[in-house]
Amino acid sequence: MIVRKMNLKAKKEDMERIFHPRRLAIVGVSTDGGARGFGIGMLVGLQAMGFEGEVFPVNPKGGSYAGLNFYKKVEDIPGQIDFAIIAVAAKDVPEALEACRKKGAAGAEILSAGFSELATKEGRELEHKISEIADRGIRVVGPNCFGIYCPGSGLTLLPGPDLSRISGPVAFLSQSGGMAIDLAHKGKWMGLNFSKVVSFGNGADLREVQLLDYLTEDDETGVIGMYMEGIKDGEAFFNAIKKATKKKPVVVCKGGLSAAGQRMVVSHTASMGGSRVIWESVLRQVNAIQVQNLQELAEACLAFCFLPPKVFRRLSVIGGGGALGVTACDAAEKFGMEIPALEPVVRKNVEELLPKPGSSGANPIDVANPFVEPKILQKVLHAAAQDERVELQIIVSLLYHYKTMARMLGKPIAQVAPYRELAELLGGVVRETGKPIVAVLANPKRGVDDLDIVEMLALARAEFIKNGLPVFDDLHEAIRAIGHVNTYYEKRIKNES
Amino acid sequence: MNHNSAANIIKSALGEKRSCLSEYEAKLLLAFYGLPVTREVLVNNADELKAAARQIGYPLALKGCSSEIAHKTEQGLIHLGIQSEGEALVAFEEIRKKLAEGHGAVLVQEMVRGSRELVMGMTRDEQFGPCVMFGLGGIFTEILRDVSFRKAPLSELDAREMMREIRGNKIIDAFRGMPAADAKTLAQMLISLGRIGLDFREVKEIDLNPVIIAADKPVVVDALIVLG
Repeated sequence: MIVRKMNLKAKKEDMERIFHPRRLAIVGVSTDGGARGFGIGMLVGLQAMGFEGEVFPVNPKGGSYAGLNFYKKVEDIPGQIDFAIIAVAAKDVPEALEACRKKGAAGAEILSAGFSELATKEGRELEHKISEIADRGIRVVGPNCFGIYCPGSGLTLLPGPDLSRISGPVAFLSQSGGMAIDLAHKGKWMGLNFSKVVSFGNGADLREVQLLDYLTEDDETGVIGMYMEGIKDGEAFFNAIKKATKKKPVVVCKGGLSAAGQRMVVSHTASMGGSRVIWESVLRQVNAIQVQNLQELAEACLAFCFLPPKVFRRLSVIGGGGALGVTACDAAEKFGMEIPALEPVVRKNVEELLPKPGSSGANPIDVANPFVEPKILQKVLHAAAQDERVELQIIVSLLYHYKTMARMLGKPIAQVAPYRELAELLGGVVRETGKPIVAVLANPKRGVDDLDIVEMLALARAEFIKNGLPVFDDLHEAIRAIGHVNTYYEKRIKNES
Repeated sequence: MNHNSAANIIKSALGEKRSCLSEYEAKLLLAFYGLPVTREVLVNNADELKAAARQIGYPLALKGCSSEIAHKTEQGLIHLGIQSEGEALVAFEEIRKKLAEGHGAVLVQEMVRGSRELVMGMTRDEQFGPCVMFGLGGIFTEILRDVSFRKAPLSELDAREMMREIRGNKIIDAFRGMPAADAKTLAQMLISLGRIGLDFREVKEIDLNPVIIAADKPVVVDALIVLG
């Protein structure tokens, strides 16, 4: 059994140098073999991202790439470094890490694999060496990870030359590198902007607890997402996440939840307390939001970013189609909300605006025709917001139907569908009424015949986001995400009172 | 709370290399932590039985009490609703016969009246340590598995939340002429179970099933404490 000091608290100034390094070494940059290595991949990625610090590539054989000369040894780099990216073979990692420590680096990310994940004695011992060096004064992310993404500085995950440089409130901690890069890409079009994304792999030094502690205090971070498989210290994790949720929402996707165990137990209590049940209970206890997959995590983070910090119990839903009412009410009930019938006066005002026949100003409001002009929809949402009970409005937009109109007019759908005007007008309604609007851009037509619709909706999504409206693919998911916001703030308010 | 007395019960059981406390010992330990348990007396012969029966009053329950028996119902070691001394003596002899191969005394216990049965418990999770359970008790525990958990130590809010979290949470509300269960006591019981888990690493699992709501007061009617 390998024992080491655990849960060393990460110093804030060290973490700043790690996420915003001015002088960065990449150890293990090779242009051999078609430049497929992790080190050169990172160098290319950082350049493409416009990383703002100085980069010092290291390769024992020397060489150069894109105008940068390679240093043969870390020791040869002039002056101090802040941070290092290490991508050499596993057996050479301890030496490289130690050299970076001596160069004054506050931290290093180790992309190399070949450590405890192999479940061999050699792998574990090598990882233990990393932990020991870390304890001497350099914080380590990894090994076996994709590194750090920080839009503020331009640090990027492997292989992420095309991630957004726009900073925002979302932080993500992930044991899995794949999940980290997937969320970073997803965020770019969904409207999630990140403060910091950390793929920590095997977590030989920094892992869930220390990173949570850091993000809890990090002013750039407003919501924390996590993907975890195992944790190292349940007690420390429990305390760290409990502390975090007092300040900001934490959304957790826990992988590897097996059914109630094969353990030998006598009591009913023990037989019912399998790891899944206990995890779910513990996450509820600390007021973390539990989600089932990365998509739900992204949607929950989106709702937390775009909606004001409060509980929304009563919604209005505006859309078209007969089943809308049923679907909306079912989802609302499932997630603890209601869609109350509008007050008679409000209903009358709404109905006066709607095309006849076939429309309805009850709630959900059925506009009956997908081509109702944005100006009318603006008025409808404005009118519905006058019902005092309505706390949030959802518009299910049927923009995809404009393909029919585009065909008639002989123009591309992106020119015909009035998404830009709609987004701007709805943004105005939110400002005037003080009640948030959530947009659902439904699209049943996603085949190769309808790539123009897919494209138009991507443009529409960007416009809605620009105007401060979160966008979901379907109503159920939108309501589920609002439900997560409610769950969090309801308990937080209760805890604070 | 009487930590030393509780520790002594555990110590003596472990000294005898036992993996369970007897029901009697378990309830003593629970009582030291303030949990309401049935009034009961452990008897070894007919004279003790008669005295105990007079003290507690009919109707009575008689149970074989040994640390070797985890689930008594299946083994015919429980006689409920005993109304007279004659019945008590017959039940006593039957239980003694079944116990003969092992050893153990007979527990004379008050019959707690109430149609609402709950379960409470404690288990040790590999990651999170002692976790407390609350749910529907009696036969429904295994059939419906309608239970909730919280990691110890529990706050009062944790305890109250976990009671609300089960699907059948209305069971503790006023219902069909029955008063609402005493939620404060229930919460305190759950908090105490977590406390026991934190205080004694040797206590591996606890099952309190059923906890019967008598009018509005919860009472632990059967208890299992597993050591390890």
